[in-house]
Amino acid sequence: MNQRVNTGVPGLDKMLNGGLLPQTSNLVEGAPGCGKSTLGMQFIYEGTQKGEPGIILTFEEFPQQYYRDAATYGWDFKKLEREGLLRVIMSSPEVSKADLERVNGTIEKMIDAIHAKRILVDSISQFERMSEDPVVLRNLIYSFLNSLKRKGLTTMLTRESSYLWGESDTEEELDSGLSFVVDSYITLRYVEIDSTVNRAIIVMKIRGSAHDTRIFQFDIGAQGMEVGKPFEGQEGILSGAPTRMAESFIKAFVKR
Amino acid sequence: MNTKNDLIARMMDDMQEDLIVFIKDNVDSFVKWDLIRFFYENPHTIDSVENIARYTGRSPGAVQGELAELATHGLLEENKVGRMAVYALSSDPKVRQQIADFIQASNDPKFRPKIIFHLLKGMKA
Repeated sequence: MNQRVNTGVPGLDKMLNGGLLPQTSNLVEGAPGCGKSTLGMQFIYEGTQKGEPGIILTFEEFPQQYYRDAATYGWDFKKLEREGLLRVIMSSPEVSKADLERVNGTIEKMIDAIHAKRILVDSISQFERMSEDPVVLRNLIYSFLNSLKRKGLTTMLTRESSYLWGESDTEEELDSGLSFVVDSYITLRYVEIDSTVNRAIIVMKIRGSAHDTRIFQFDIGAQGMEVGKPFEGQEGILSGAPTRMAESFIKAFVKR
Repeated sequence: MNTKNDLIARMMDDMQEDLIVFIKDNVDSFVKWDLIRFFYENPHTIDSVENIARYTGRSPGAVQGELAELATHGLLEENKVGRMAVYALSSDPKVRQQIADFIQASNDPKFRPKIIFHLLKGMKA
């Protein structure tokens, strides 16, 4: 089995058959506020604890926001920056892409300075303002991701869904081209069950590896993201409003 | 300070000489003050005039010249990325310490009014 890069969320690592593959691009897509950035910060923090320094490349939030959010989980990002294990870089897609493409650019120097092994790009959605042409956009992102791979980084990208609840047009999301250029694709969803809002996580794909295809519950707790049990006895989870499966179907197909 | 008749000098005479020199040499507008604070708080920012203007809530026209001057004075580094001028905080530890000292002073209720007075007295905007 290939060496794996732990995400910092043991339950997600199990779903991924051990973790992410090194030097790959991994997309985390989901509705606003459902935990994409938390997962991303957890991925970066995990690296710092294992001697794998990390970069957070933010296109939206100010670095102060990451320091504050991380502190709520007990992760001292300012201290990690002082120790040379982390850099929170604020930039824009057009500048960071152009900077990474040139020799010895500013971002490349920062990556080299801390010997970074991981990077969180939060969020790749901002690239969409660079072109309305999906082919051009796909090529822009492909080139950007390759510049990160060239530096030996394992990349986690976040992408915001345009919907809050339920089913995105998954096929449409995949066909936008991003799924072809990333190595794994993880989706986070809000779902309503018995008048309660739950969170769901599913690994849609991981290139070159088996993965758990079940839909799992997850929560954001005091330690960050925690993956719980798989949803059972319901269908239509991805629609956001699942229904209970027929009892006979449960008896026939669902392991107790 | 050179003259005791200089009101600014008298107001600032309890400030460290290095800090006074830094302020006089580098901080001649509120926009520059905002930009220095922005880069101090977000020290790994690398971006264009347009985006830095957006981050600081100013217009590109208001920050363009000020960013260039801060780069000329060595507080920022200016690079050409394609056709864009891109700015980042100086990586010189001495410069970063001067900026930290200035921000610390500007947060001090004792010194803050003096810095504001200096700006109002001598500056462009």
